[in-house]
Amino acid sequence: MDVSCRSANGILVAAIHGRVDESTWEGFADRMREAIEQAAATKQSELILDLSALDYMSSRGLRVLTMAKRQAEAAGLALTLAAPNEVMREILAISRYDKLFHISDSVDTGE
Amino acid sequence: MLVRFWGTRGSLPVAAKADAIRAKIANALVAANGRSITSFGEAEAFIDGQLDFAASGTYGGATTCVEIEVGDSFFVCDMGSGLREFGLSAMKRCAEGHKRTYNFFQSHLHWDHIMGFPFFVPAFDPLAKIVIHSAHPDAEDALRRQQEEISFPVPFDWLRASIEFVAMTPGEPIEVDGLTVTAEKQQHSHDSYGYRFTDAEGCTVVFSTDSEHKPDNMKDEAAFIEFFRNADLVICDTMYSLADSVSMKEDWGHSSNIVAIDLCHEAGAKRLALFHHEPTYDDEDIQRMHQESIRYEALTREGSELEVLCAYDGLEIRL
Repeated sequence: MDVSCRSANGILVAAIHGRVDESTWEGFADRMREAIEQAAATKQSELILDLSALDYMSSRGLRVLTMAKRQAEAAGLALTLAAPNEVMREILAISRYDKLFHISDSVDTGE
Repeated sequence: MLVRFWGTRGSLPVAAKADAIRAKIANALVAANGRSITSFGEAEAFIDGQLDFAASGTYGGATTCVEIEVGDSFFVCDMGSGLREFGLSAMKRCAEGHKRTYNFFQSHLHWDHIMGFPFFVPAFDPLAKIVIHSAHPDAEDALRRQQEEISFPVPFDWLRASIEFVAMTPGEPIEVDGLTVTAEKQQHSHDSYGYRFTDAEGCTVVFSTDSEHKPDNMKDEAAFIEFFRNADLVICDTMYSLADSVSMKEDWGHSSNIVAIDLCHEAGAKRLALFHHEPTYDDEDIQRMHQESIRYEALTREGSELEVLCAYDGLEIRL
C-alpha cells in the first residue's frame, strides 16, 4: 500500500496504490491524516482519493475513510472517492459506503 | 458438538404477518407455473429445488437464545424470547432422561437478552438446577427486577428450580461440565461479554453478540482476533451495515457483517454465523445481507475460505 499526492486547481489528489487490509491499514491511516493536514495547510478546497490503482479495501480501510471524512469535514474540506475498480465498487455497495461518500467515476480536477 | 439457534433476532421479537405469508404462498404458486403437485413430498421437493430460503421459509423473530449441545448438561447462551421454546424442548428431553442441569452464559442483561426467563418452564421444575454464568455482578438484580410486580405477575422467588449465579472474570477460563469457557469484554452499553467454548476434542464455538467495533479503536481488535482464533464457528453480531454502524447508529453497540468477516479472516476461523438480525429487516433483506456477505468474503479472502452462514430460528450446525 502506498499513497502519492499531487495538487491541481485547489484540489489535493491522493492516489492509493495496492490494497488496504489488516496489514496495511495503520500506514494508510497515517497517510490519510498527513494528506488532510497538507490539504488544510495549503488551503485546498477538496481532497480527492484516486482509487484507480487500489486493488481493494477491507473494513479496516473503510473505517479509516470514516475517520478521514470526519477530519476533512472538521478542516472544511470536501472528500471525494474517485475511479474505484469493479471490486471496490462492490465493496462500497455491500458496506453501504456508497451512501456515505460522494463517489465519482473519474478523477476530475478540472485540468 | 451441536449448535442450535432458538432466537436470532436483535433488540425486539418480530413475527411475519399475514400479508408476508400470503406473498410467499402467491410467489410459490407463480414459481410452480401450473405444474402438478399432488403430495406433500412433491411439494417439499419443489420447495427444496426451486425456492430460495426467503421464499420458502423465514429467519424467525425470537430474540437471542443459542443452545450448545455437548455432554450431559444443557448449555445456553442468553435468555431472549427464544428461551421459551428451548425450555419446552428441554422439558421433553428431560422426560426422556436428560440431566436437569442448565448452564447459562449471559452476554449482558438488556431486555431482549433476558425477556425469555419468566417464560422458561424448567425454572418451575423443583428438580432442575440452573447455573447462570455472567461477568456482570448485577445479573441477579436484572432477573429479579423483570419479575417484580410492576413488570410481571410471577415473582422470581416463586420459581422452584435451584438457581445459582456464578460471576466470571474476563480472560480467566473456567471448566463447566466438560467445556472450557472464557469470557471477553465487549463494547456495548453497560458492557457485554463474548464467550469462547471449547470441548475435550478441541472443538471451539465463539458467541459474540451485542459487540461494537468502532473505527477509532481498531487496534483493540487484536484481542478479538485472538478470541476468535481458529474457532470452528463464530456467532457474531452483524446487525447493521458498516455504513450504519459508523454513522447514524454509531454507539448503539452493534457490529456489521463485513467487520465480522474481516475479524474471522484474520483469526483463521472456519465458519461465521451472521446473527442478531435487525428487527426491521424482512426475510428478503436478511437473505440479501447473507448473499452480500458471502460475496464480500470471496472478494477479500487471502487465506482459507470462511464459510458464511446466516443464523435463523431453528438452524442446527453440527461441528
